[in-house]
Amino acid sequence: MPDNYWLQETDETAGTGNPEAAYILNCTVNGEELSLEIPPGRRLLSILRDDLELTGTKRSCEIGRCGACMVLLDGRPVNSCLTMAYQCEDAEITTIEGLSAAELHPVQRAFLEEGGFQCGYCTPGMVISVVGMLQSNPQPSQSDIEEAMSGNICRCTGYGGILRAVHKAIESGVSP
Amino acid sequence: MLLNKESSGSRWRVRPDGQDKVSGRLQYLTDMSAEGMLTGRVLRAQQAHARILSIDTTAALAAPGVHAVITHKDVPGLNGFGIALPHQPVFCSDRVRYTGDAIAAIAAESDAEAEYALSLIRVEYETLPLLEDAEEAMKPEAVLLHEEGNVLHHTEYRRGEPEPAFRECAHVVEETYFTPRQMHTYMETEGGLFIPEDNGRLTVYSATQHGLMDRRQLSRILALPEEDIRVVSSPIGGSFGGKDELNVQPYGALLALRTRKPVRLHNSRYESVRAGLKRHPMKITMKTGCDREGNLVAHKVRIISDTGAYATLGAEVLNFATEHVVGPYRIPHVEVEGFAVYTNNGVSGEFRGFGGNQAIFALEGQVDRLAERLGLDPWELRRRNLRQYGDPGPLGQPIAQTHGAVQVWEALKASALLRAPETAEVPETAAEDNGKRAEEKRPPWIVTGTGAALAMHGAGLGYGIPDPAGGRLVLALDGKIEAVFGYEEFGQGLIATMEQMLVEQFGFAADDLRIIIGDTDVVPDSGSSTASRSTSMMWMALQRLRPEFTAELLEKAASSAGEPAGNLQLGPGGVWRREGGLLISYTELARGLKEPLVCQTVFHYPTTPQPRVGAHFLYTYSAIAVRVELNLLTGRVRITDQYHVVAAGPVANPQGYLGQIEGGSSMAVGFTLSEDAVMAGGAYVTKNMDTYLVPTIIDMNGRIQVEAIEDLPEHDTYGPRGIGEIGSVHLAPAVAAAIFQAVRKRVNKLPVEPELLQETLFTTQKAVNSYAG
Ligand code: FES
Ligand code: FES
Repeated sequence: MPDNYWLQETDETAGTGNPEAAYILNCTVNGEELSLEIPPGRRLLSILRDDLELTGTKRSCEIGRCGACMVLLDGRPVNSCLTMAYQCEDAEITTIEGLSAAELHPVQRAFLEEGGFQCGYCTPGMVISVVGMLQSNPQPSQSDIEEAMSGNICRCTGYGGILRAVHKAIESGVSP
Repeated sequence: MLLNKESSGSRWRVRPDGQDKVSGRLQYLTDMSAEGMLTGRVLRAQQAHARILSIDTTAALAAPGVHAVITHKDVPGLNGFGIALPHQPVFCSDRVRYTGDAIAAIAAESDAEAEYALSLIRVEYETLPLLEDAEEAMKPEAVLLHEEGNVLHHTEYRRGEPEPAFRECAHVVEETYFTPRQMHTYMETEGGLFIPEDNGRLTVYSATQHGLMDRRQLSRILALPEEDIRVVSSPIGGSFGGKDELNVQPYGALLALRTRKPVRLHNSRYESVRAGLKRHPMKITMKTGCDREGNLVAHKVRIISDTGAYATLGAEVLNFATEHVVGPYRIPHVEVEGFAVYTNNGVSGEFRGFGGNQAIFALEGQVDRLAERLGLDPWELRRRNLRQYGDPGPLGQPIAQTHGAVQVWEALKASALLRAPETAEVPETAAEDNGKRAEEKRPPWIVTGTGAALAMHGAGLGYGIPDPAGGRLVLALDGKIEAVFGYEEFGQGLIATMEQMLVEQFGFAADDLRIIIGDTDVVPDSGSSTASRSTSMMWMALQRLRPEFTAELLEKAASSAGEPAGNLQLGPGGVWRREGGLLISYTELARGLKEPLVCQTVFHYPTTPQPRVGAHFLYTYSAIAVRVELNLLTGRVRITDQYHVVAAGPVANPQGYLGQIEGGSSMAVGFTLSEDAVMAGGAYVTKNMDTYLVPTIIDMNGRIQVEAIEDLPEHDTYGPRGIGEIGSVHLAPAVAAAIFQAVRKRVNKLPVEPELLQETLFTTQKAVNSYAG
């Protein structure tokens, strides 16, 4: 076996071609009720990006370290690279695409205006993290913010713009 | 001016690519898909140094869902790539030299099938002796990694007579500095989509910092004329130099042409770590002497750079380091010798700072050590030796003259951090935290220190290297003003800067514009988006284009509306009467055109006249002061305050400028405190972001202030200097100086090892990131 096998076992290999693995996932994604026949161990990240073509959710470390893949699962931010299909049963999933319809979500607007991004690849996960935090804690302290966002890595900005965006979002009193 | 949103006023603009980024709608090239697309995967070497005895792909080819398995036998053109020296095999045929070497590639219907098929490829190896250390590789008895020898490049620079001069010195310090194998860790790993078109052409959607260079390299590999290849290379989820060289493109292209189907590749993080470039680990030995008054007299340097298995830009990075170990100081006697050496470690290559980071860490360390010997304030010692307006560059070459070095020295001297570090230290963010942290009294095991460093950093590729520039402005038939440049957007805000220049210099509205970059079918050769060069080159291109393009638009307007051109000017939406009032919109103006109105310019990045390959002409100057908090129990360092002064000419885009300095500095925090892609036995030990530690928001919760010095000498025609790298090059020596001030310990190896700083019974605790060098 070649040794660039890193991490692939959890995904499509879990149950591919195995009829016993056939499983129906019922959940809501961005308000839309879905019923998907997929292996129960398929990662939410792959379901979103590959099956549903919701590519706003990003793939980066795939081990739960960087937060690029974050989505809201029943309102709580989770790493979709570590979440398996069966864990989403009856859940309400919100991806970055689901935050804004006609208008940007206030958190997205704060990122836009404060320049809380550069390449933008971490941004969907960052925004999800902030939305998740503010939903449970609308007036976070500096250390609350640091803790809530320590699972989101940004390689471009050095976090300055991101912190300014978070403060702006708090000031503007984001109503989730 | 302290650079921030408030001080920038209306010049702080919303980025044109921002809406799509914050909403998640922006399609990166690794997000693309196509009907009937296959997944591509690459088999990498299982050994770091071995002869290949056989490669058997039969079983893989017969596996379900597999459409193609290709090896070296399937490369129609040159089986090699490399910007400077195309000798890195696309596929190895007889030998592997590092664990990122490619042996075969597969296209299959699904990831899982590609994965399974990969496991069926049998490669037999005969292990060869491993070269893990650059100095070992330089020994005459070492096995040769390449026929030409194990030294990729050797540099020398000499002026004066250093040896006798050292004998005259009152103080001489000698030290060896070690820097880590830093990883770019762009959040988007390498990948893309490769589409064989019906007309026989190939479209490559994959990130790079120079689309036309990728096209040239691919054309050699595929034996296809360049015109038959289209490279679309933006937007990019981060690069920092790391995607400058080819990565997945040869495999995607070959698989797509073989299967005649679209093929997508997207590296896993581990594959990105394993095959991707890193910053050159360097060992820099310096001997530096000064007289009793603190005038630098002699400086001797030896650089050993581990370039890994293949060249890419290893030679150019060494040239850069050779120049930057001399730096912004007047030193009469200098001798520098450098070696970029092949090993079986991962390939080192281009990375933000380009050899400057390593050089500046060592050089500034020497100045601090000499100041200690002299009993002098280190900042004062710098003043006594600082280059002045009119001085030649570090290699004695003529350069564009500015007062940058002195300006940044003075501004930092006046900063609160250097004047009164104790009172300056409470970061705003902590203050906002209900003043909680500020009130907390520091426990006795937390000590603090302040340190500073200075740098001049070259931009552009340097003397003797083709460094084209240019671009095109067009009034398109639909009335849009098009700016067409061969640059790439990897997050730095190039599109935003271009828009801001067009709005501010020409008077257009953002809505009038269509900015086109990153597509080899339409862009001119503007050179690479590297080396802090693209902002300068856009500015210079627009300076050249403005008179002609403005005149053409005004004349067209004059003739269609029957008003003298002299009464008209460009404005938002169209051509205006000088006394006010829109005369004709760009859309109407375009209606009268049979073909688009085009102005082009072609020029070369300004270079020094002195024929020394790689020597620079344009420089950015910066000084930095940092305040650190050091925990004696854990040996961990936290940076609580940073003050950057940057002299880089006019600020073209305040948000972009600030973002580059802040972002560059966080990369430097990692370089200094936590990042090292550790290798053992030719394999990466740090395979992902759980063990390779880039700074998080908690590591970056100190204050960062940026002061921009914008004025340039009156005669200067070069405009804004690059700022993409300068924020990342001098934080390490400033932190080392701050640590010294706090605990009187000298750091000579990065990242800083916590055990060096622990002062308790627990000093035997091993830190996870200890350097294996
Ligand atoms: S991709 Fe899921 S946390 Fe990094
Ligand atoms: S903006 Fe590039 S990683 Fe955060």
